[in-house]
Amino acid sequence: MASRVATLRRQRLVVAAYATFAVVLAPLAAVIWVSFFEDKIIGFPPSGYTLHWYANAWRVDRFLQGFLLSLEVGVVATSISLVIGVPAALALARSEFAGREAVHALLMSPMVVPGIVSGAAIYMFFIEVEVASELPLAGTLFGLVLAHTLIALPWIVRLVTASLVGVDRSLAEAATSLGATPRVTFFRITLPVIRPGIVAGAMFSFVVSFGDLEKSLFLIGPGRTTLPIEMVNYLEWNIDPTIAAVATVQTLMIGAALALSDRFFKLTRVF
Amino acid sequence: MTLAGGGAVRHRPPGNGALRSETADAYSLLAPSVLLVLLCLILPLCLMARYSLNRYSPGDMMVAALTLENYARFFGDSFYLGVLFRTLWLSLAATLACLVLALPAAYYLSRLKNHSAKTLLVLAIVIPLLMGNAARAAGWMVLLADKGLVNEVLIHLGILSDPVRILYTSSAVGIGLISVLLPIMIVSLQSVFDGVAESYEEAAMSLGARPLRMFWHILLPMIMPGVFSGSMLCFVLAMNAYATPVLIGGPSFQMMAPKVYEQAIKVYNWPFAASMAFVLIVVTLTLTILASVALQRRYGKV
Repeated sequence: MASRVATLRRQRLVVAAYATFAVVLAPLAAVIWVSFFEDKIIGFPPSGYTLHWYANAWRVDRFLQGFLLSLEVGVVATSISLVIGVPAALALARSEFAGREAVHALLMSPMVVPGIVSGAAIYMFFIEVEVASELPLAGTLFGLVLAHTLIALPWIVRLVTASLVGVDRSLAEAATSLGATPRVTFFRITLPVIRPGIVAGAMFSFVVSFGDLEKSLFLIGPGRTTLPIEMVNYLEWNIDPTIAAVATVQTLMIGAALALSDRFFKLTRVF
Repeated sequence: MTLAGGGAVRHRPPGNGALRSETADAYSLLAPSVLLVLLCLILPLCLMARYSLNRYSPGDMMVAALTLENYARFFGDSFYLGVLFRTLWLSLAATLACLVLALPAAYYLSRLKNHSAKTLLVLAIVIPLLMGNAARAAGWMVLLADKGLVNEVLIHLGILSDPVRILYTSSAVGIGLISVLLPIMIVSLQSVFDGVAESYEEAAMSLGARPLRMFWHILLPMIMPGVFSGSMLCFVLAMNAYATPVLIGGPSFQMMAPKVYEQAIKVYNWPFAASMAFVLIVVTLTLTILASVALQRRYGKV
């Protein structure tokens, strides 16, 4: 009797859990399904299925340009934040110094300040700088990359620091005391230890930069729009299988990046 | 100091000197990142705070001033107050709904023994989280439209005779927000459930506690930090949501984030946009601080 009650409870838990997973996955499933519909005007049930829209998506210039720009900005911003973020993470994880907590909070702050607020602030700041120095920032690739580096940085710092937790720092000290130069110590000892954090951090930085909407809204220029913004602009007027195909391709890319990074750094540890 | 020389580092003398140079090293490693955040985030935020006290004039855009009239305009106008309250109410409701929905899912996920199934489910939750709100909004648009899947199925089953309007209503925006925020809540809760040993539950249950009682008295106090951080994240993101209200709510549905964008970029009224952004920040911060004080009183430090 008791075990029957337990089984019933267990079943109820499983049903509740999968109902929640369904709410998360429903829009994703809908987008993927619709991307194969034959008719341009979406109706249920579809009159047939086709792969035509996937070919069409690449012929829509705004999506291709948006995709390329998002890719470019994501790669450059991730690279810059790796170059400046990895040393910062090392310093945060290894050294004791005054203000360590404050510096850590500061480096995490781009994650906490809402995108719409920081986007508006950065936009006004860039225009002020432009007016004062005639250095163009708002609406330029450089300005966009700068803002995206800001989005990417906390992920690098967070994941690289996490990969150093529990690592004995005497390892690096031993190498140094045995005569290894700082460069050798870094490449032979430290780098292999933090590699999982670097890979996962880079993946997350890229994905977050690639998908950013709110900050970028303020910083795009004429003829220079990222994919998520192109998608929102398009969706404001029409929804058809073409946009569904674009969303599906984007989702597949992100899924591949995440599955890859999971091999280096368990996704369950990221958050 | 001789320590600055390249090769000399390997023979660090013990004591104060080494410590000081280590601090100097740390600062120089941190400098570029810290500079970036200070210059590109903190300084702009301070600048915007100052702009919120300026005066807007249609001709010159912005006139330097020290006035609270932008804030007075916001709080004096029932339209903007309505936007703020709609944003607040939807964010609170969505956060609460996420908490209720995510608890069983996160618990199930955390107690799942099969590792590949667990990884697959976590991926299935994290991918939507990172696929961007535009793509997810597109999914709900397909499902909830007048001729969307939900309406067609209900009509086909004979439950409805005519399609009901779901898209472009506040319930649709609520559903959209919940599905956008759920992954964050599930992941936050799962990590705290992972840290609670199953033996606590077993002990409580073997002493005769019913599951709900066990959850309320044993599990909930232990997972409180995750409940708090997950709810906070969800609430902040809901308050600042852009794509969901714009796409699922339609052009006449007003929430705070799209209004800030409209004032800054379309109307070009920077002082008012800045003051709205700060109202948004201050309201969000105040509520999260109040919540954390209330929770600390009930559960101790979280």
